[in-house]
Amino acid sequence: MSIDWITVAAQIVNFLVLVWLLKRFLYRPILDGIDAREEEITQRMQEAVHAREEAETREQEYQDQIESLNLKQADMTETIRKEAEKQRDVLLAEARERVENERASWSKHLDEEKRKYTSRLHRVGASAILALTGKALTDLADETLEERMVQSLARRIEPMASDLKRAAGQAAEAVVTSHAALSQAGQDAMESKLKEVFPDLSVRFETNEEQSHGLILRIGGAQLAWTVETYLDGLDEMIDAQLSSREGSGAQSDEQ
Amino acid sequence: MTLSPDQNILFEIWGIAINATVFFTWVVMALLTLAAGLITRNLRPDVPPGRWRTTLEVIVLGIQSQIEEVSGRREDHLLYFAGTLFLFVAVSNLLLVVPGFTPPTASLSTTTALALSVLIAVPLFGITSRGLGGYLKTYLEPSVVMLPFNIISEASRSISLAIRLYGNIMSGAVIAAILLSIVPFFFPVVMDVLGLLTGMIQAYIFAILATVYISSATASSQPKKDTQ
Repeated sequence: MSIDWITVAAQIVNFLVLVWLLKRFLYRPILDGIDAREEEITQRMQEAVHAREEAETREQEYQDQIESLNLKQADMTETIRKEAEKQRDVLLAEARERVENERASWSKHLDEEKRKYTSRLHRVGASAILALTGKALTDLADETLEERMVQSLARRIEPMASDLKRAAGQAAEAVVTSHAALSQAGQDAMESKLKEVFPDLSVRFETNEEQSHGLILRIGGAQLAWTVETYLDGLDEMIDAQLSSREGSGAQSDEQ
Repeated sequence: MTLSPDQNILFEIWGIAINATVFFTWVVMALLTLAAGLITRNLRPDVPPGRWRTTLEVIVLGIQSQIEEVSGRREDHLLYFAGTLFLFVAVSNLLLVVPGFTPPTASLSTTTALALSVLIAVPLFGITSRGLGGYLKTYLEPSVVMLPFNIISEASRSISLAIRLYGNIMSGAVIAAILLSIVPFFFPVVMDVLGLLTGMIQAYIFAILATVYISSATASSQPKKDTQ
Protein backbone atom coordinates (compact mmCIF):
# COMPACT_ATOMS: atom_id res chain seq x y z
CA MET A 1 0.00 0.00 0.00
CA SER A 2 1.65 3.14 -1.22
CA ILE A 3 0.59 6.53 -2.44
CA ASP A 4 1.86 7.73 -5.79
CA TRP A 5 1.58 11.49 -5.38
CA ILE A 6 1.89 12.10 -9.09
CA THR A 7 -1.08 9.83 -9.62
CA VAL A 8 -2.90 11.63 -6.80
CA ALA A 9 -2.36 14.95 -8.55
CA ALA A 10 -3.45 13.47 -11.87
CA GLN A 11 -6.57 12.00 -10.27
CA ILE A 12 -7.43 15.33 -8.66
CA VAL A 13 -7.15 16.96 -12.07
CA ASN A 14 -9.13 14.11 -13.64
CA PHE A 15 -11.82 14.49 -11.01
CA LEU A 16 -12.10 18.22 -11.52
CA VAL A 17 -12.27 17.71 -15.29
CA LEU A 18 -14.97 15.12 -14.75
CA VAL A 19 -16.90 17.55 -12.55
CA TRP A 20 -16.79 20.12 -15.34
CA LEU A 21 -17.71 17.56 -18.04
CA LEU A 22 -20.67 16.20 -16.11
CA LYS A 23 -21.82 19.70 -15.28
CA ARG A 24 -21.64 20.55 -18.99
CA PHE A 25 -23.17 17.34 -20.40
CA LEU A 26 -25.28 15.93 -17.58
CA TYR A 27 -26.39 18.15 -14.74
CA ARG A 28 -27.13 21.42 -16.54
CA PRO A 29 -29.01 19.86 -19.50
CA ILE A 30 -31.02 17.61 -17.19
CA LEU A 31 -31.78 20.32 -14.63
CA ASP A 32 -32.51 22.92 -17.32
CA GLY A 33 -34.74 20.41 -19.10
CA ILE A 34 -36.62 19.66 -15.89
CA ASP A 35 -36.93 23.36 -15.07
CA ALA A 36 -38.13 24.12 -18.62
CA ARG A 37 -40.62 21.27 -18.46
CA GLU A 38 -41.88 22.39 -15.08
CA GLU A 39 -42.15 25.93 -16.39
CA GLU A 40 -43.98 24.68 -19.47
CA ILE A 41 -46.31 22.56 -17.33
CA THR A 42 -46.94 25.56 -15.07
CA GLN A 43 -47.54 27.74 -18.10
CA ARG A 44 -49.88 25.16 -19.63
CA MET A 45 -51.75 24.80 -16.37
CA GLN A 46 -52.07 28.57 -16.16
CA GLU A 47 -53.24 28.58 -19.79
CA ALA A 48 -55.68 25.78 -18.95
CA VAL A 49 -56.95 27.74 -15.95
CA HIS A 50 -57.18 30.85 -18.10
CA ALA A 51 -58.92 28.90 -20.86
CA ARG A 52 -61.31 27.43 -18.31
CA GLU A 53 -62.09 30.86 -16.91
CA GLU A 54 -62.53 32.20 -20.42
CA ALA A 55 -64.76 29.26 -21.30
CA GLU A 56 -66.84 29.86 -18.17
CA THR A 57 -67.08 33.54 -19.03
CA ARG A 58 -68.11 32.67 -22.58
CA GLU A 59 -70.64 30.16 -21.27
CA GLN A 60 -72.11 32.82 -18.99
CA GLU A 61 -72.21 35.27 -21.90
CA TYR A 62 -73.95 32.74 -24.11
CA GLN A 63 -76.41 31.92 -21.33
CA ASP A 64 -77.16 35.62 -20.96
CA GLN A 65 -77.52 35.94 -24.72
CA ILE A 66 -79.87 32.96 -24.84
CA GLU A 67 -81.99 34.42 -22.03
CA SER A 68 -82.00 37.80 -23.75
CA LEU A 69 -82.96 36.16 -27.04
CA ASN A 70 -85.73 34.21 -25.34
CA LEU A 71 -87.09 37.41 -23.82
CA LYS A 72 -86.82 39.19 -27.16
CA GLN A 73 -88.50 36.25 -28.87
CA ALA A 74 -91.39 36.37 -26.39
CA ASP A 75 -91.70 40.11 -26.86
CA MET A 76 -91.56 39.76 -30.63
CA THR A 77 -94.13 36.96 -30.54
CA GLU A 78 -96.45 39.11 -28.44
CA THR A 79 -95.91 42.13 -30.70
CA ILE A 80 -96.48 40.04 -33.82
CA ARG A 81 -99.62 38.52 -32.29
CA LYS A 82 -101.01 41.95 -31.46
CA GLU A 83 -100.01 43.25 -34.88
CA ALA A 84 -101.69 40.25 -36.51
CA GLU A 85 -104.85 40.81 -34.49
CA LYS A 86 -104.83 44.48 -35.46
CA GLN A 87 -104.20 43.56 -39.09
CA ARG A 88 -106.99 40.98 -38.92
CA ASP A 89 -109.38 43.56 -37.50
CA VAL A 90 -108.41 46.03 -40.20
CA LEU A 91 -108.83 43.39 -42.92
CA LEU A 92 -112.16 42.29 -41.47
CA ALA A 93 -113.34 45.89 -41.31
CA GLU A 94 -112.17 46.44 -44.86
CA ALA A 95 -113.88 43.24 -45.97
CA ARG A 96 -117.08 44.20 -44.19
CA GLU A 97 -116.94 47.66 -45.73
CA ARG A 98 -116.25 46.15 -49.14
CA VAL A 99 -119.12 43.72 -48.70
CA GLU A 100 -121.36 46.54 -47.57
CA ASN A 101 -120.30 48.65 -50.51
CA GLU A 102 -120.83 45.74 -52.88
CA ARG A 103 -124.16 45.03 -51.29
CA ALA A 104 -125.14 48.71 -51.55
CA SER A 105 -123.88 48.82 -55.11
CA TRP A 106 -125.66 45.59 -55.89
CA SER A 107 -128.81 46.90 -54.21
CA LYS A 108 -128.54 50.15 -56.10
CA HIS A 109 -127.95 48.26 -59.31
CA LEU A 110 -130.88 46.02 -58.51
CA ASP A 111 -133.09 49.00 -57.77
CA GLU A 112 -131.99 50.62 -61.00
CA GLU A 113 -132.66 47.43 -62.88
CA LYS A 114 -135.99 47.11 -61.15
CA ARG A 115 -136.79 50.72 -61.97
CA LYS A 116 -135.80 50.24 -65.59
CA TYR A 117 -137.72 47.01 -65.77
CA THR A 118 -140.73 48.56 -64.10
CA SER A 119 -140.57 51.58 -66.38
CA ARG A 120 -140.28 49.38 -69.45
CA LEU A 121 -143.04 47.17 -68.13
CA HIS A 122 -144.97 50.28 -67.39
CA ARG A 123 -144.77 51.44 -70.94
CA VAL A 124 -145.20 48.04 -72.43
CA GLY A 125 -148.02 47.18 -70.04
CA ALA A 126 -149.73 50.50 -70.59
CA SER A 127 -149.41 50.12 -74.34
CA ALA A 128 -150.67 46.57 -74.13
CA ILE A 129 -153.56 47.50 -71.86
CA LEU A 130 -154.51 50.45 -73.98
CA ALA A 131 -154.08 48.48 -77.16
CA LEU A 132 -156.16 45.62 -75.84
CA THR A 133 -158.71 47.92 -74.27
CA GLY A 134 -158.90 50.05 -77.40
CA LYS A 135 -159.15 47.04 -79.63
CA ALA A 136 -161.79 45.47 -77.40
CA LEU A 137 -163.71 48.74 -77.22
CA THR A 138 -163.49 49.22 -80.95
CA ASP A 139 -164.44 45.65 -81.74
CA LEU A 140 -167.19 45.36 -79.22
CA ALA A 141 -168.68 48.90 -79.09
CA ASP A 142 -167.30 50.65 -82.14
CA GLU A 143 -165.71 53.29 -79.88
CA THR A 144 -162.18 54.60 -79.40
CA LEU A 145 -160.58 54.73 -75.96
CA GLU A 146 -159.48 58.35 -76.27
CA GLU A 147 -163.01 59.44 -77.15
CA ARG A 148 -164.45 57.51 -74.26
CA MET A 149 -161.81 58.95 -71.94
CA VAL A 150 -162.64 62.48 -73.19
CA GLN A 151 -166.31 61.86 -72.53
CA SER A 152 -165.61 60.38 -69.16
CA LEU A 153 -163.32 63.31 -68.17
CA ALA A 154 -165.91 65.75 -69.47
CA ARG A 155 -168.52 64.15 -67.25
CA ARG A 156 -166.34 64.56 -64.21
CA ILE A 157 -165.58 68.20 -64.83
CA GLU A 158 -169.13 69.34 -64.17
CA PRO A 159 -169.47 67.96 -60.58
CA MET A 160 -166.04 69.36 -59.78
CA ALA A 161 -166.62 72.74 -61.43
CA SER A 162 -166.75 74.78 -58.23
CA ASP A 163 -163.54 73.21 -56.89
CA LEU A 164 -161.79 73.73 -60.23
CA LYS A 165 -162.82 77.37 -60.43
CA ARG A 166 -161.56 77.99 -56.92
CA ALA A 167 -158.33 76.26 -57.68
CA ALA A 168 -157.88 77.88 -61.12
CA GLY A 169 -158.18 81.40 -59.81
CA GLN A 170 -157.66 84.00 -62.56
CA ALA A 171 -156.16 81.56 -65.08
CA ALA A 172 -157.02 82.35 -68.70
CA GLU A 173 -155.91 79.15 -70.31
CA ALA A 174 -156.56 75.48 -69.84
CA VAL A 175 -154.00 72.96 -71.04
CA VAL A 176 -155.03 69.44 -71.93
CA THR A 177 -152.05 67.06 -72.15
CA SER A 178 -152.21 63.59 -73.66
CA HIS A 179 -149.73 60.84 -74.52
CA ALA A 180 -150.78 60.90 -78.19
CA ALA A 181 -152.52 63.61 -80.11
CA LEU A 182 -156.30 63.61 -79.63
CA SER A 183 -158.60 63.34 -82.61
CA GLN A 184 -160.28 66.50 -83.71
CA ALA A 185 -163.63 65.20 -82.50
CA GLY A 186 -162.20 64.50 -79.11
CA GLN A 187 -160.58 67.96 -78.97
CA ASP A 188 -163.87 69.56 -79.94
CA ALA A 189 -165.84 67.60 -77.38
CA MET A 190 -163.33 68.48 -74.66
CA GLU A 191 -163.23 72.14 -75.62
CA SER A 192 -167.04 72.45 -75.80
CA LYS A 193 -167.38 70.85 -72.37
CA LEU A 194 -164.77 73.18 -70.85
CA LYS A 195 -166.41 76.20 -72.45
CA GLU A 196 -169.65 75.29 -70.70
CA VAL A 197 -167.99 75.56 -67.32
CA PHE A 198 -165.31 78.14 -68.12
CA PRO A 199 -166.70 80.33 -70.98
CA ASP A 200 -163.78 82.77 -71.03
CA LEU A 201 -161.12 80.12 -70.94
CA SER A 202 -159.03 79.28 -73.99
CA VAL A 203 -158.12 75.61 -74.43
CA ARG A 204 -154.80 74.34 -75.69
CA PHE A 205 -153.99 70.66 -76.45
CA GLU A 206 -150.45 69.27 -75.99
CA THR A 207 -148.80 65.88 -76.28
CA ASN A 208 -146.23 64.43 -73.84
CA GLU A 209 -144.69 61.02 -74.58
CA GLU A 210 -143.41 60.79 -71.02
CA GLN A 211 -146.94 60.99 -69.73
CA SER A 212 -149.09 57.91 -69.23
CA HIS A 213 -151.95 57.25 -71.55
CA GLY A 214 -154.96 59.37 -70.76
CA LEU A 215 -155.63 63.07 -70.22
CA ILE A 216 -154.38 65.69 -67.75
CA LEU A 217 -156.15 68.97 -67.43
CA ARG A 218 -154.31 71.97 -65.92
CA ILE A 219 -156.03 75.22 -65.21
CA GLY A 220 -153.76 77.55 -63.28
CA GLY A 221 -152.89 75.74 -60.08
CA ALA A 222 -155.59 73.11 -60.54
CA GLN A 223 -154.87 69.76 -62.14
CA LEU A 224 -157.23 66.97 -62.98
CA ALA A 225 -155.66 63.72 -64.20
CA TRP A 226 -157.60 60.96 -65.92
CA THR A 227 -154.95 58.42 -66.90
CA VAL A 228 -154.15 54.75 -66.61
CA GLU A 229 -151.42 55.67 -64.10
CA THR A 230 -153.40 54.38 -61.15
CA TYR A 231 -153.99 51.05 -62.90
CA LEU A 232 -150.32 50.87 -63.76
CA ASP A 233 -149.52 51.56 -60.12
CA GLY A 234 -151.66 48.55 -59.31
CA LEU A 235 -149.75 46.59 -61.90
CA ASP A 236 -146.50 47.76 -60.29
CA GLU A 237 -147.69 46.52 -56.92
CA MET A 238 -148.50 43.15 -58.40
CA ILE A 239 -145.11 42.89 -60.09
CA ASP A 240 -143.33 43.98 -56.92
CA ALA A 241 -145.22 41.39 -54.92
CA GLN A 242 -144.34 38.76 -57.51
CA LEU A 243 -140.66 39.76 -57.51
CA SER A 244 -140.53 39.84 -53.73
CA SER A 245 -142.02 36.35 -53.50
CA ARG A 246 -139.50 35.08 -56.09
CA GLU A 247 -136.58 36.71 -54.28
CA GLY A 248 -137.78 35.12 -51.04
CA SER A 249 -138.00 31.67 -52.59
CA GLY A 250 -134.58 32.19 -54.31
CA ALA A 251 -132.95 33.14 -51.00
CA GLN A 252 -134.49 30.09 -49.31
CA SER A 253 -133.19 27.81 -52.06
CA ASP A 254 -129.74 29.44 -51.71
CA GLU A 255 -129.78 28.82 -47.98
CA GLN A 256 -130.80 25.21 -48.56
CA MET B 1 0.08 -9.79 -7.63
CA THR B 2 0.21 -6.07 -7.01
CA LEU B 3 -2.03 -4.43 -4.46
CA SER B 4 -2.14 -1.09 -6.30
CA PRO B 5 -2.77 -0.47 -10.00
CA ASP B 6 -0.50 2.60 -9.75
CA GLN B 7 2.49 0.38 -10.36
CA ASN B 8 0.98 -1.15 -13.48
CA ILE B 9 2.31 1.08 -16.26
CA LEU B 10 0.27 0.52 -19.40
CA PHE B 11 1.88 2.94 -21.89
CA GLU B 12 3.65 6.25 -22.22
CA ILE B 13 2.61 9.52 -23.84
CA TRP B 14 5.42 11.95 -24.64
CA GLY B 15 7.57 10.17 -22.07
CA ILE B 16 4.92 10.34 -19.36
CA ALA B 17 4.08 6.92 -17.95
CA ILE B 18 0.34 6.24 -17.87
CA ASN B 19 -0.53 3.71 -15.18
CA ALA B 20 -3.70 1.62 -14.95
CA THR B 21 -5.27 3.94 -12.37
CA VAL B 22 -5.14 6.97 -14.64
CA PHE B 23 -6.05 5.00 -17.74
CA PHE B 24 -9.14 3.39 -16.22
CA THR B 25 -10.09 6.72 -14.71
CA TRP B 26 -10.11 8.11 -18.23
CA VAL B 27 -12.20 5.17 -19.35
CA VAL B 28 -14.77 5.89 -16.64
CA MET B 29 -14.72 9.60 -17.50
CA ALA B 30 -15.20 8.86 -21.18
CA LEU B 31 -18.08 6.46 -20.47
CA LEU B 32 -19.89 8.92 -18.22
CA THR B 33 -19.37 11.89 -20.54
CA LEU B 34 -20.32 10.01 -23.71
CA ALA B 35 -23.44 8.51 -22.16
CA ALA B 36 -24.56 11.85 -20.73
CA GLY B 37 -23.76 13.70 -23.97
CA LEU B 38 -25.58 11.18 -26.17
CA ILE B 39 -28.67 11.10 -23.99
CA THR B 40 -28.94 14.87 -23.49
CA ARG B 41 -27.89 16.07 -26.97
CA ASN B 42 -31.46 16.42 -28.31
CA LEU B 43 -33.04 17.57 -25.11
CA ARG B 44 -35.90 19.99 -25.70
CA PRO B 45 -38.77 20.93 -23.38
CA ASP B 46 -41.44 20.14 -25.98
CA VAL B 47 -40.10 16.59 -26.63
CA PRO B 48 -41.38 13.96 -24.19
CA PRO B 49 -38.51 12.36 -22.26
CA GLY B 50 -37.36 8.91 -23.41
CA ARG B 51 -36.43 6.04 -21.14
CA TRP B 52 -32.69 6.94 -21.04
CA ARG B 53 -33.39 10.57 -20.35
CA THR B 54 -35.88 9.55 -17.67
CA THR B 55 -33.23 7.27 -16.15
CA LEU B 56 -30.75 10.14 -16.03
CA GLU B 57 -33.42 12.44 -14.57
CA VAL B 58 -34.17 9.86 -11.87
CA ILE B 59 -30.47 9.57 -11.01
CA VAL B 60 -29.84 13.33 -10.97
CA LEU B 61 -33.04 14.11 -9.05
CA GLY B 62 -32.25 11.26 -6.61
CA ILE B 63 -28.84 12.73 -5.90
CA GLN B 64 -30.34 16.19 -5.61
CA SER B 65 -33.01 15.04 -3.17
CA GLN B 66 -30.37 13.27 -1.02
CA ILE B 67 -28.31 16.48 -0.92
CA GLU B 68 -31.41 18.49 -0.03
CA GLU B 69 -32.23 16.06 2.76
CA VAL B 70 -28.74 16.44 4.19
CA SER B 71 -28.17 20.17 3.65
CA GLY B 72 -31.79 21.31 3.84
CA ARG B 73 -31.53 23.40 0.66
CA ARG B 74 -30.91 23.08 -3.06
CA GLU B 75 -27.33 23.81 -4.01
CA ASP B 76 -26.30 23.22 -7.59
CA HIS B 77 -22.52 23.45 -6.91
CA LEU B 78 -22.78 20.86 -4.21
CA LEU B 79 -24.75 18.69 -6.64
CA TYR B 80 -22.00 18.93 -9.24
CA PHE B 81 -19.33 18.00 -6.72
CA ALA B 82 -21.04 15.32 -4.65
CA GLY B 83 -22.92 13.91 -7.64
CA THR B 84 -19.73 13.52 -9.61
CA LEU B 85 -18.10 11.84 -6.64
CA PHE B 86 -20.98 9.36 -6.41
CA LEU B 87 -21.18 8.66 -10.13
CA PHE B 88 -17.42 8.25 -10.54
CA VAL B 89 -17.05 5.93 -7.56
CA ALA B 90 -20.22 3.98 -8.42
CA VAL B 91 -19.35 3.43 -12.09
CA SER B 92 -15.76 2.56 -11.20
CA ASN B 93 -16.97 -0.01 -8.69
CA LEU B 94 -19.65 -1.41 -11.03
CA LEU B 95 -17.07 -1.95 -13.75
CA LEU B 96 -15.30 -4.29 -11.33
CA VAL B 97 -17.22 -7.15 -13.00
CA VAL B 98 -15.72 -6.36 -16.41
CA PRO B 99 -12.81 -8.74 -17.03
CA GLY B 100 -9.52 -6.89 -17.22
CA PHE B 101 -10.91 -3.71 -15.71
CA THR B 102 -9.20 -2.50 -12.58
CA PRO B 103 -11.32 -0.02 -10.67
CA PRO B 104 -9.46 3.26 -10.11
CA THR B 105 -11.01 3.34 -6.67
CA ALA B 106 -8.91 0.30 -5.78
CA SER B 107 -5.93 2.62 -5.83
CA LEU B 108 -5.09 4.46 -2.64
CA SER B 109 -3.87 7.31 -4.85
CA THR B 110 -7.34 7.73 -6.32
CA THR B 111 -9.15 7.58 -2.99
CA THR B 112 -6.56 9.94 -1.52
CA ALA B 113 -7.12 12.30 -4.43
CA LEU B 114 -10.87 12.20 -3.87
CA ALA B 115 -10.44 12.69 -0.13
CA LEU B 116 -8.11 15.61 -0.75
CA SER B 117 -10.68 17.06 -3.13
CA VAL B 118 -13.24 16.88 -0.33
CA LEU B 119 -10.71 18.30 2.11
CA ILE B 120 -10.17 21.28 -0.21
CA ALA B 121 -13.85 21.59 -1.14
CA VAL B 122 -15.02 21.89 2.46
CA PRO B 123 -13.17 25.16 3.21
CA LEU B 124 -13.85 26.44 -0.30
CA PHE B 125 -17.59 25.96 0.06
CA GLY B 126 -17.41 27.32 3.61
CA ILE B 127 -15.48 30.43 2.60
CA THR B 128 -17.76 30.98 -0.41
CA SER B 129 -20.77 30.67 1.82
CA ARG B 130 -19.82 32.62 4.94
CA GLY B 131 -16.57 34.42 4.03
CA LEU B 132 -12.98 33.71 5.15
CA GLY B 133 -13.36 35.13 8.62
CA GLY B 134 -16.61 33.41 9.25
CA TYR B 135 -15.20 30.08 8.16
CA LEU B 136 -12.01 30.38 10.23
CA LYS B 137 -14.13 31.22 13.25
CA THR B 138 -15.68 27.77 13.07
CA TYR B 139 -12.31 26.34 14.15
CA LEU B 140 -12.51 28.37 17.35
CA GLU B 141 -15.98 27.13 18.24
CA PRO B 142 -17.21 26.49 20.79
CA SER B 143 -13.91 27.84 22.34
CA VAL B 144 -10.31 28.53 21.39
CA VAL B 145 -9.28 25.40 23.26
CA MET B 146 -11.00 23.35 20.59
CA LEU B 147 -8.77 24.70 17.75
CA PRO B 148 -6.31 21.79 17.66
CA PHE B 149 -9.11 19.27 17.96
CA ASN B 150 -11.00 20.84 15.10
CA ILE B 151 -7.86 20.75 12.92
CA ILE B 152 -7.26 17.09 13.82
CA SER B 153 -10.92 16.39 13.07
CA GLU B 154 -10.66 17.89 9.57
CA ALA B 155 -7.51 15.88 8.80
CA SER B 156 -8.89 12.64 10.19
CA ARG B 157 -12.07 13.06 8.12
CA SER B 158 -10.08 13.08 4.92
CA ILE B 159 -7.90 10.19 5.98
CA SER B 160 -10.90 8.13 7.02
CA LEU B 161 -12.65 8.87 3.74
CA ALA B 162 -9.63 7.79 1.72
CA ILE B 163 -8.84 4.69 3.72
CA ARG B 164 -12.47 3.53 3.94
CA LEU B 165 -13.06 3.62 0.20
CA TYR B 166 -9.68 2.26 -0.71
CA GLY B 167 -9.86 -0.54 1.85
CA ASN B 168 -13.27 -1.70 0.81
CA ILE B 169 -12.70 -1.68 -2.95
CA MET B 170 -9.14 -2.91 -2.86
CA SER B 171 -10.01 -5.68 -0.43
CA GLY B 172 -12.94 -6.73 -2.60
CA ALA B 173 -10.75 -6.89 -5.69
CA VAL B 174 -7.98 -8.72 -3.84
CA ILE B 175 -10.33 -11.21 -2.26
CA ALA B 176 -11.91 -11.91 -5.63
CA ALA B 177 -8.46 -12.43 -7.17
CA ILE B 178 -7.36 -14.70 -4.33
CA LEU B 179 -10.53 -16.77 -4.51
CA LEU B 180 -10.24 -16.99 -8.29
CA SER B 181 -6.79 -18.54 -7.88
CA ILE B 182 -7.88 -20.94 -5.15
CA VAL B 183 -11.45 -21.86 -6.09
CA PRO B 184 -12.01 -20.91 -9.73
CA PHE B 185 -15.77 -21.60 -9.73
CA PHE B 186 -18.77 -20.17 -7.88
CA PHE B 187 -17.04 -18.28 -5.05
CA PRO B 188 -15.47 -15.57 -7.22
CA VAL B 189 -18.90 -14.89 -8.74
CA VAL B 190 -20.48 -14.56 -5.31
CA MET B 191 -17.69 -12.27 -4.24
CA ASP B 192 -18.10 -10.18 -7.37
CA VAL B 193 -21.81 -9.75 -6.62
CA LEU B 194 -20.92 -8.84 -3.07
CA GLY B 195 -18.29 -6.45 -4.43
CA LEU B 196 -20.93 -4.72 -6.58
CA LEU B 197 -23.13 -4.24 -3.55
CA THR B 198 -20.22 -3.04 -1.42
CA GLY B 199 -19.08 -0.72 -4.21
CA MET B 200 -22.50 0.93 -4.50
CA ILE B 201 -22.73 1.30 -0.73
CA GLN B 202 -19.23 2.80 -0.57
CA ALA B 203 -20.07 5.24 -3.37
CA TYR B 204 -23.18 6.32 -1.51
CA ILE B 205 -21.29 6.61 1.81
CA PHE B 206 -18.43 8.57 0.23
CA ALA B 207 -20.75 11.04 -1.49
CA ILE B 208 -23.07 11.46 1.48
CA LEU B 209 -20.17 12.02 3.88
CA ALA B 210 -18.69 14.63 1.55
CA THR B 211 -22.08 16.31 1.44
CA VAL B 212 -22.38 16.25 5.22
CA TYR B 213 -18.94 17.76 5.65
CA ILE B 214 -19.54 20.50 3.12
CA SER B 215 -23.02 21.18 4.46
CA SER B 216 -21.72 21.45 8.01
CA ALA B 217 -19.24 24.02 6.78
CA THR B 218 -21.93 26.08 5.12
CA ALA B 219 -25.05 25.35 7.19
CA SER B 220 -24.65 27.81 10.07
CA SER B 221 -24.19 30.72 7.71
CA GLN B 222 -27.73 30.49 6.38
CA PRO B 223 -29.63 31.93 9.39
CA LYS B 224 -27.18 34.86 9.45
CA LYS B 225 -27.98 35.59 5.81
CA ASP B 226 -31.66 35.36 6.51
CA THR B 227 -31.47 37.78 9.43
CA GLN B 228 -29.46 40.21 7.34
